[in-house]
Amino acid sequence: MLETLGLMGAGFINALTPINLLMMAGGVAMGIIIGCMPGLSAAMGVALMLPLTFTMKAETGLIVLGAIYCGAIFGGSISAILIHTPGTPASAATAIEGYQMTLRGKAGKALFTACYASFWGGLLSCISLYFFAPLLAQLTLKFRSAEYFWLSIFGLTIIAGVSGKSIVKGLISGAFGLLLSTIGLDPVTGAKRVMFGQAYFAEGINTTCALIGLFSMSQVFILAEKKITARAQATKFTDKMSLTRDERKLIRPTIVRSWLIGNIIGILPGAGAAIACFLGYNTSKQFSKHKEMFGKGSIEGVAGSEAANNAVTGGSLIPTLTLGIPGESVTAVLMGGLVIQGLAPGPELFGKYAPMTYTFFAGFVLVQFFMLGIGLLGCRGFAQISRLSDAILIPCVTVLCCVGSYAIHKNILDIVVMMTFGVIGYLMRKFDLNTAAVVLALILGPIGEKGLRNALKSSGGNPAILFSSVVCWVLIGLCIVGILSPIFMAKLEAKAEKEAVAGTEEDVEKLTEEDSV
Amino acid sequence: MKKIFALLLVLCMIFALSACGKSGGTTSSEAPAAESGEFKPDGPVTLIVAYKAGSGTDGPARILAQFAEKYIGQTVVVENVDGGSGSIGWSQLAAADPDGMTIGVMNLPNFNNSIVNELGTYTTASFKAICNHVTETSIVIVRADDDRFPDLDALVAYGKEHDGELKASTNGAKASNHIGAQAFANSAGFKYIDIPQGGTADQLLSLRNKESDFTVVKLGDIAGQESAYRVLGIFAAERDSRIPDVPTLAEKGLYDQWLGSSRAIVAPAGVSDAVIGFYEEALKKTMEDPDYLAAASSFDTNFQDHAATAALIEQQQQFAESLGAEFWGE
Repeated sequence: MLETLGLMGAGFINALTPINLLMMAGGVAMGIIIGCMPGLSAAMGVALMLPLTFTMKAETGLIVLGAIYCGAIFGGSISAILIHTPGTPASAATAIEGYQMTLRGKAGKALFTACYASFWGGLLSCISLYFFAPLLAQLTLKFRSAEYFWLSIFGLTIIAGVSGKSIVKGLISGAFGLLLSTIGLDPVTGAKRVMFGQAYFAEGINTTCALIGLFSMSQVFILAEKKITARAQATKFTDKMSLTRDERKLIRPTIVRSWLIGNIIGILPGAGAAIACFLGYNTSKQFSKHKEMFGKGSIEGVAGSEAANNAVTGGSLIPTLTLGIPGESVTAVLMGGLVIQGLAPGPELFGKYAPMTYTFFAGFVLVQFFMLGIGLLGCRGFAQISRLSDAILIPCVTVLCCVGSYAIHKNILDIVVMMTFGVIGYLMRKFDLNTAAVVLALILGPIGEKGLRNALKSSGGNPAILFSSVVCWVLIGLCIVGILSPIFMAKLEAKAEKEAVAGTEEDVEKLTEEDSV
Repeated sequence: MKKIFALLLVLCMIFALSACGKSGGTTSSEAPAAESGEFKPDGPVTLIVAYKAGSGTDGPARILAQFAEKYIGQTVVVENVDGGSGSIGWSQLAAADPDGMTIGVMNLPNFNNSIVNELGTYTTASFKAICNHVTETSIVIVRADDDRFPDLDALVAYGKEHDGELKASTNGAKASNHIGAQAFANSAGFKYIDIPQGGTADQLLSLRNKESDFTVVKLGDIAGQESAYRVLGIFAAERDSRIPDVPTLAEKGLYDQWLGSSRAIVAPAGVSDAVIGFYEEALKKTMEDPDYLAAASSFDTNFQDHAATAALIEQQQQFAESLGAEFWGE
């Protein structure tokens, strides 16, 4: 225990180097910029910046990625509040109350609330990171091949959660990803599979290139096919960015509730920040003593949504770092960064690499403070970026995609792979297939394959080994929950969204009437 | 405002580009004449490592590069060219200008396996040996608390009695430690089940969580966690001074050759003898440098000259080619 406390303390000291602090500030700013530009998601931003971290030390690289992640989730609220367009899906619920506040000339107050709530949501979520992550990591020491097989199956059930409207299309996407994951040297016999005589494919498809293509490059194609139009003018706001003492006191319970919701949603694979923001918003409405303010620009509503989506960040890192199961697309990218640094998720991160891990955790805590500072100081500037023209955005992102994939191995073939996946991603999105499912399958496929084949090999082909331990049965139970939970979540989200929208539409109508009068 | 952010993004891209170009270096067009008797690099020297930054190969290579600068008289840039089980990096090294400005690390026997598996277009003749850098010897280990196997004899007896039942984790199908386990079991005359894992860390974890009964790793792999394992035997001609109580496999009448892995420093085949001589001398001095030795305490530095290293590469190649279906029991 004392040793762990020592590691935690040392983590803060290590995180406080000038280079780390600089990177935190830069990462948060970059994240906010990416977040507040509608069309660029948090996953895309992290994927885009991932190659820049290769040359950094492991902890610095992870801190940058964490900073971009947190920044982007908060950044989405800026355009949600000012131009009623959530910068990322995670801020969809923020748009409801936030834009109402803007219409009433309280944009500054709304932005302050978003920033303040995001800060507390993110900060509190670090608590669970410190306490649950090492415990869960210890558990993986008990994992043998059979357990890893079930773990990957559990991870794959996330596909059901991320596939949105059509589960079938999600499954098609996942199957496609699994198929791609068989490329390369067979993990058990060493035979060459679908390599077409290219040594380049010996270690399989480069996941980082694949996800830069699927998340970032495909977005460029989507943006480019539309006619380039000017974005809505962001409202210039003049009111002061602050809350009174009473208002802060008012949103305090909301923040705590949203933190718990967001944190739990984050730990559960498959449910991301987009769901958390609606649940957080809805809960704040249910518990509010000022229900009449909802739909007319309630600071509680903004705080409820923003604290919840930022609380997801710390939570979602837990399964990623301990089990190697990324709960959503952002952490899938983050895991790519971890693996490239030569670090495997699991107990080693809390044993051999504990100083690095605790430095990252400390960095993640400090990032929240940077988010508060940069968010408050730079809001007015960031507001203008949300209307940056696609004519600038498209070439910039394209160059970053190419440079990023080349930087990994300095191999031109990586750019070809990235571009190919860009086209694949574009086509998939046109057909409503799910690119996140492909990435998940690409990461989890080899774990499951090796687990199943090694388990059967060691039992002499007897499948009973797959059901031979308590951990196996627990994981099987989780798989069932994993398959069923999206159905439950979808209902919950639909309910929350319906209630939220129902309230707003009335008020918007009322408001427009007032305006026209 | 727009312009400022466009500028910001451009700056960001320049930053990204500089990350790529970091180790590009400036290979002078007027490379030193290969035919002259003297060679001295006139710019940064590139050391190609065929595995990623932070890997087991990368660490020692970077320590060597750092201390070699004093004797080479130029900056030594480590360039990680990973992928294709090492073959991408070795292909790039084989194709590099033989002007003495690019050298690389060759992992034995992984390099030889990549030739046998037809992953690269090169052969041993595509490279010239400079010297050997690191040598690690293989050992047979079990869990420290496994009372079934107090010594090597007990493991062999158990293996023979329960033929085909013992399980051994490996660091990958037909990878170095799989070769070790197979060589041991073949010489002892029993069959076992191999459980291939992604790397040495997972391989050891598989032993510790009792999925495997024994395994073969390198001596350096268990450094710092010796208490968790019992070392039963070492694949060498003589006992190792660090573990004097552990018998060699040969003593027990089992596999009687040295087995392990080496990392040689090599250059593309076209370089002149002057280049080889220059680096051989410079790296010999580096590996004798007390500062280097202090920094390199975590691995086994083993300088061997050009001739011995060339012979080692050939010997390892013949060994890798000899591992046919019969060896693997297929």
